[in-house]
Amino acid sequence: MKKKFNLINPQYAPRSWFVVFNTLFFIFLMAAMIIPIFKIFCDSMVNETVYGLKLIPKGFDPNTGKEVWFNTIAYKRIVTDPGLYKPFLISIYTTIMTTFLGLLISTLGAYVLIQKDMPGVKIFSYMLLFTMIFNGGLIPTFLVMKNIGLLDSLWAVMLPMSMNVYNLVLMRSFFEGIPTSLFEAAEIDGCTPMGIFVKIVLPLSKAALASIGLFFAVAAWSEYFHYVIYIKSSSKYNFQYKLRDLFQDKQESDQGTKINVNTLKSAAVIVSIVPFMFIYPFCQKYFMTGVTMGAVKE
Amino acid sequence: MANNNDNFDHVIVKKPSVGQRMFKYRYFYLMFIPVAIVLLIFYYWPMLGIRYAFSTFKLKQITLRTGPDYSIGLGNFTRLLSSDPFHAAFKNTIVLSFINLVLAMVCSVAIALLINEIQNAWGKKIVQTVLYLPHFLSWVVAASIFMLILSAGTDATGADTSNTGFINAILLQLGILDKPVDFLTESKAWPTVWYIMNRWKETGWGTIIYLAALSSISPDLYEAAEIDGAGRMKQTWYITIPSIMNTILVVFILNLAKIMNVFESVFVFYNSLVYDVSDVIQTYTYRVGIVGNDYGYSTAIGLFKSVVSLILVSASDIISKKIRGYGIV
Repeated sequence: MKKKFNLINPQYAPRSWFVVFNTLFFIFLMAAMIIPIFKIFCDSMVNETVYGLKLIPKGFDPNTGKEVWFNTIAYKRIVTDPGLYKPFLISIYTTIMTTFLGLLISTLGAYVLIQKDMPGVKIFSYMLLFTMIFNGGLIPTFLVMKNIGLLDSLWAVMLPMSMNVYNLVLMRSFFEGIPTSLFEAAEIDGCTPMGIFVKIVLPLSKAALASIGLFFAVAAWSEYFHYVIYIKSSSKYNFQYKLRDLFQDKQESDQGTKINVNTLKSAAVIVSIVPFMFIYPFCQKYFMTGVTMGAVKE
Repeated sequence: MANNNDNFDHVIVKKPSVGQRMFKYRYFYLMFIPVAIVLLIFYYWPMLGIRYAFSTFKLKQITLRTGPDYSIGLGNFTRLLSSDPFHAAFKNTIVLSFINLVLAMVCSVAIALLINEIQNAWGKKIVQTVLYLPHFLSWVVAASIFMLILSAGTDATGADTSNTGFINAILLQLGILDKPVDFLTESKAWPTVWYIMNRWKETGWGTIIYLAALSSISPDLYEAAEIDGAGRMKQTWYITIPSIMNTILVVFILNLAKIMNVFESVFVFYNSLVYDVSDVIQTYTYRVGIVGNDYGYSTAIGLFKSVVSLILVSASDIISKKIRGYGIV
């Protein structure tokens, strides 16, 4: 049956009106998602103290006395102030390291878990799954970190994050999709387990590596709480921590630099989103693969 | 007579012994070592620390190097069961996560149904891309965005509108408020704002699983219903909703199991003025343990939380097995 768009003809009208309202509803919903972010973007480029309802990145700059579009004074501050750009570099470093370690541990673990004949493999998988439902808790974990001397070290943040049971199980479901005949053939040809892993398993799971790598990267970039508990020296804070710090700082320390506090805060929010915004449109399908895969298999 | 060698019936393939198999898989054990090290150090070693829950263990014991003092036995648990902040935290945990869970279910199902009605493939893709986006922002960023747009400004009297946030500016403009309100320090407003922030961030992402369920409904059902003269509403009510009911229930139960885990969204969003409505078990544990250095007592709170979680997960597992035939872990 052909659906016609007609708001008057009683045969098609109810459906057509529904389409109109549905479209309006989603336009409204998308606006509700985007406007808060867009408002912050605009405010980050307006160095005024009164933003009000302004939704364009244009404003009066008290430093030059002119109306300017895209005032980047707050971004210049972030790029030049070591207190702000160093945390950004720490974020990049920990994100790359956590993603790398996370993929290493997930792929190795998943590759071992698909060896059905291996003695002890059941125990390994129960040991992994058990951590999903029970753990020692915040304080005992903190005391372990203290005992092994990882307090105030970035390893205390990166190592626990690189072991994510959910991602490991997801990786295992991907690996289970590889035909076992490939492994057998390689084995007959004299390939070692490590050789099979590097030459067959990894090249065949590029999509899985991309998906799960993105999960690790997003989690590592967003990490905040581990820094609160384990990191003490300010030279090791990541950008999320610094951002939160800016918001908790009650004193208006930026009077001297002629940047409005909220302009700086807004700019910091935008800076922490930007790397993700760049990759999101290109990587959305990888995010989706991971989630639907998990939803079906779990 | 046929050559007996063509018939392999008499050949018994002996299953290799455990030792032989372990030898065959020796490299795999080597590969598992990095995983095992991280697992044992960061996940299993802390479990030994659960014994601190039955001890007095504060900064004093650490500086004096006496170690935890186990003489109090269950003292920490009697203390927490009679502690008002703990009761408040427990109540807040249940209230905040349960209301959030119900809101999540209603919003995500409704929006998934409406997304499913979008006929234009491009429109659908754009809507999905935009709705999923906030999920990928960190809680710190989400909280920061909400703090900025909800800001009351530097002067709460309203005479000076410096740094007054977007929402207050709208409400002032519309005449609903006559002076800016600081929503984040008002106990009455805080939970609502927190629910809105959670819905803003997670509703879109929550629709994915329902959309997957919706796409697997057979179109034949709708064709048959149309021939029988059922309208769109009736089709939704009698076909769509029953078809995804299983998914709705399973998602609900899975999330019910995680009800005690609410943490980071609160931790980055609350402040000392609204502890009465916002303090949850995990934030309370953090303040007692990491800030207050009362390790024994806070381990007890953590253990209490873990045990409640474990019971919830087991219950969910049983219910899940009843509904869909297999468990959640």
